[in-house]
This record gives sequence, structure tokens and C-alpha cells, in this order.
Amino acid sequence: MNILICIKQVPDMESKFKINGEGTWYDRADLAWRMNEYDEYAVEQAVRLKEQLPNSDLTVLCIGQDQASESIKKALAMGCDKGVHIADPDSSQREPIAIATMIAGFAKEELFDIIFTGMQSQDRGSAQVGVMVAELLGIPAVTTIVDFSYDENTGAIQVKRELEGGSKALVTATTPVVLTCQLGLNTPRYPTLPNIMKAKKKELRTVLPAPAAVDARQETSACYFPEKKGGGLVLEGEIPELADKLIQLLKEKTSALA
Amino acid sequence: MHFQLTEEQKLIRDMVRSFAETEVAPSAAERDETEHFDRALMFDRLAELGLTGIVFPEEYGGAGADYISYAIAVEELSRVCGSTGVTLSAHLSLCANPIYMFGTEAQKQKFLTPLAKGEKIGAFGLTEPSAGSDAGGTKTTATRDGNDWILNGSKIFITNGGEAETYVVLARSDKSAEKHRGISAFIVEKGTPGFSFGKKEKKMGIRSSPTMELVFENCRIPGDNLLGQEGQGFKVAMKTLDGGRIGIAAQALGIAQGAFEAACAYTKEREQFNKPIASFQGVSFQLADMATQIEAARLLIYNAAYRASAGLSYSQESAMAKLFASETAMWVTTQAVQLHGGYGYTREFPVERMMRDAKITEIYEGTSEVQRVVIGAALVK
Repeated sequence: MNILICIKQVPDMESKFKINGEGTWYDRADLAWRMNEYDEYAVEQAVRLKEQLPNSDLTVLCIGQDQASESIKKALAMGCDKGVHIADPDSSQREPIAIATMIAGFAKEELFDIIFTGMQSQDRGSAQVGVMVAELLGIPAVTTIVDFSYDENTGAIQVKRELEGGSKALVTATTPVVLTCQLGLNTPRYPTLPNIMKAKKKELRTVLPAPAAVDARQETSACYFPEKKGGGLVLEGEIPELADKLIQLLKEKTSALA
Repeated sequence: MHFQLTEEQKLIRDMVRSFAETEVAPSAAERDETEHFDRALMFDRLAELGLTGIVFPEEYGGAGADYISYAIAVEELSRVCGSTGVTLSAHLSLCANPIYMFGTEAQKQKFLTPLAKGEKIGAFGLTEPSAGSDAGGTKTTATRDGNDWILNGSKIFITNGGEAETYVVLARSDKSAEKHRGISAFIVEKGTPGFSFGKKEKKMGIRSSPTMELVFENCRIPGDNLLGQEGQGFKVAMKTLDGGRIGIAAQALGIAQGAFEAACAYTKEREQFNKPIASFQGVSFQLADMATQIEAARLLIYNAAYRASAGLSYSQESAMAKLFASETAMWVTTQAVQLHGGYGYTREFPVERMMRDAKITEIYEGTSEVQRVVIGAALVK
């Protein structure tokens, strides 16, 4: 099976963020960088599928500045076979369709069976790129998957999607398909030290981005920290009622009770 | 000359840090309290991650990485648990490495490979009741009997003792030879008749790392287990300790870094006189000095590690790194306790454990005084 995993390099979320001079995005200086957490689930799932189907070929793709190669190396050390770095120093300024166009431009040449990616990036958080790639390639997308299985006999892919309110949906799909991965899908493995060393020898190709196929249709005009609000959320009422409210909040706002 | 870590070294740091924070840190305080060596966590998991043979070639089950990667791994483990850091350091630097440096091909295949793969733990028996800094004073004897050797005597303060399966042991093989020339190194396997364990030490710090006495009573080992040449044991020991110093320096650095981060976070949160205490210049100056010392220690260690990997001499550099890093660890952890105030003196906060763990780094694998002897001797030569 020919598999593409699309990853993004994002700042470590424990970094101290500052807004850049233009006031339109965060300042990149002095940040530590890592692979987008949701993309780690995508890489892990692809590697597990390769363990099931050893003849699979895993290509990891990342768009961004030179240092993005560090995140590609991590994916290679986790078990991907080869890497493609689309060198685009301005990628953080591009709208989702521009990023999706670059990915689709690469993917349509290669005929991938499955494209795994994170359900969103931790910094921009648009959650649009995966589905746009599917649309541009004319293939289906299944989003926010929290469980994945592949039946070798029938070729059917079965995934669970996470819906609101703690409910889930079971979806069956066939290849080719784009799958966007959500927290809870798996626990990404540590790249072992021998695999980190072996990743050095794996193919990592750097390509230049194709010219934009679409004119920019949106831009971020301002990026800012919200004004500080004190107090947090205070629930009031009797204890059983409070417990119900808390459970409902945890279900709606977090995955703690999923 | 450049001071950037390579992509591989950064990946190794990220991986070990993530593992250390997620899996090692949660039980560090409890393991310290109960003096429990959790082999599955503190060694077997390291083996799964490929850390037990970091610097050795793949043909012997290693990962083929450099000494800076090794220092980074020990540093990151020690940042959350000094006991786990020294488990790796003693195994790799003190047991696997002398076998790699001085072993025959057959010895490497038989002993180094399972150590590097992490199937077996290694330990090193040098110190005796009357031979600590003065390694030439070794009294354990090795007597030839046909092709075999018969060991008699005891070794104390042995890190990984009891848990390890493979031991590199120094013994006097020629009583008539000059003090340093009559010593040889041997590989002894756990379970060999006549080889037993004495008391387990109750220690101030690194309490989840086992420290045991080794006892040899007419312990017969095959002649093939002689490591290096007969009479070359003192050299084996000294070369082993050169590498060991990088490991202990990295352990000290990790302990200092962990204590510094805890102190930094605490002083930003702790409010007195209506503001965080970190905003007082007296406190921020202390943090500045701690951070500066730690960074200096790190550069000394990476320099010694770089030289070790590049095949350059590094005896003096590793002594400097070990001396400076261990004294930094003791000073930084003491400051960290001070900055925590009364809370720092309790076991509610990790700095109390870190201060106890730091002290041993000034003592084992060559005391600070011995490091000064090594550095000074090279200067006045």
C-alpha cells in the first residue's frame, strides 16, 4: 500500500509566545519546534499499518522552513520510509487552500492509497487542509478518527470518528482516502535510538513549492492575546446538580470522559 | 567550530526527555523512598529504546551514536531521576565500554553484545574497603590454576551490584609486581560458584540504584575471561574511568538542570510581599548564577564527549567536566532547596531528593580531589 503522511512542524506549546512585529502571527524567534501532535497520531497509525502490511511504502511530507526537516527525521525514525520537504519559508502565512494545493500537487503524481494527517495543526488550527486535499484529489475524507482498522481480505478500512457529546460514528471506506487523526487514536511510539541513527540514511528529498494555483482569499489581519479574565468558570447549585453540570462540561469541552 | 546539536542529537534529546518525563519521573520519589530498583522501567525500557548500547557499533548490538548523544541521554534521565541516570552510566561506561576497548573479538561477541542490547546489566568492581581513590591498593587476588583464575576478596559500593549479570572486576594477579603493574581485569558472570553478594548499602541519595558488596570466595573463572593483558588492569581501570567521568558529569548536569527548573518554576509562582519571589533581584541573581554554571558544565561535558568520539585524548577534559559538573550539581541543588524555603526541605518537592542525589557525584568514579589530581598532574608534567 502506498501511504502519504502529511505533517506540520509547530512550536512547542509550552513555549512562551510573543506576537510578531506586524501583529499578524506569533514571533518565530527563540521558539522550540516539534511535530504537530495530531500528525504524530497520523505517523503512528501509518507505521502500524506498515507493520500489518510490510510491503507498504510510507512517504512523509512537510511544508515549511529548513528546520522542518527535523520533524521529517523524527517521522523517519518512527518508521516512515522516505521524506519530502517542500521548502517554503512563508508557509505559516499561507491560507489552508494554498497548503492543500501544494500537497495535492505532489500527491496526484504518486497515487497514494491512504493519506493520513492530523485533524488540525496546534498553531493555526484551521482543520481544513486534510479535507481540502481530499477535495482537490477528488477522493473521500474521513475526519477526526479515533480508531482504525484495515481488513486485508476485503480491502475495507473501518474507522471510528469522534462526534460531539461523547458519541462516535463507525465509518467504512475504501482506498483512496484521506484520514484526519484525532487525540485518542493511538499512543505514538518513541523513535528508538537505533532508528534515529538509521533515519539519517533514509531518502529525504527537498522540492520547491509549485506556484500558487489560487489567489489568496483570506488573510489573518491580527493576532493577539485575549484580555485576561479572572475567576474561570464557577458552577453553582446542589452537589448532584453540580456533578451533572461538570460531567456535561467535561464531555463537551474535553475528551476526559470520551 | 559550531555549538549546534545535530538533528540526530536533538531527536535523541527529545525522545529521552519525553520518555523520562512520561515514564521515569512519576515514580522517582516513591522509588527513592522505598529504595526500589525497578528493572523493567530503569533498564529494560532503556534497552527497548536502544539506550543501553548507544555508543557501540551496530555489529555488537549498539546504536552507533556518539558520546554527546550518550551524555544527553544520561543528562535527560538524571534530570528527573539520578538513580536511573547512573544505572545507564555504570552499565555502559564501566562495564560494556572496557569490554569494547580491551576485549577480544570473542569476548565482545559473548559479553558486549548482550550488554549493548540490554539483555544483561553490567557493573564494575574496583573499589575495596582499603582501595578507593588509591586503586593500586587492590587486595582482591587472582591466582592462576591451570587455564583458570581463582578470585578471592571483596569489592564494595558497586553500582548495579546484585542486579547486574556481567561484572568487570579488578584483582591483583601478581603479588610480586610493582603496585600498579600487578593488577589484571576479569569478566565475572553472576552465578559463577564462589561469587556472591554481601550487604546492600543504605545511602543518602540515588536510593533506587542498588549499591552492593561483591564477595569472591575461591571463585573460579575461565582464563578466557581475562580482560586485556595480564598486569594491564590498572590501565583498564583508568581508561574506563576516563569514559565513566563523562557519564557521571552528565548525571550531575541532569540533576542540576532538574533542580534549576524546579527552582525557576517555584520562584515564579511563590508570592511573598505581594509579588513572585523571582521578581526580587536577590533571587533572580541566584537563578542567573545557577543557569550560568549549568551551561558552563554542559559545554565542558560536550567538549569531553566530542573528544572521546573524535578519538582525541580526553582524560583531562573529562576530569574537568566531572569536577565542575558535580560541584555545580551540589551547589545548584543546595540553592534550589534554599529558594524553595521550608518546602524545599520536605519530600513534597523533588529538590530535596535532588540535593541528596547530587552529593554522590562529587565522590564516586573519582572524588573531586582525585579529579584535581588528574588535572594537576597533567599540568605540571
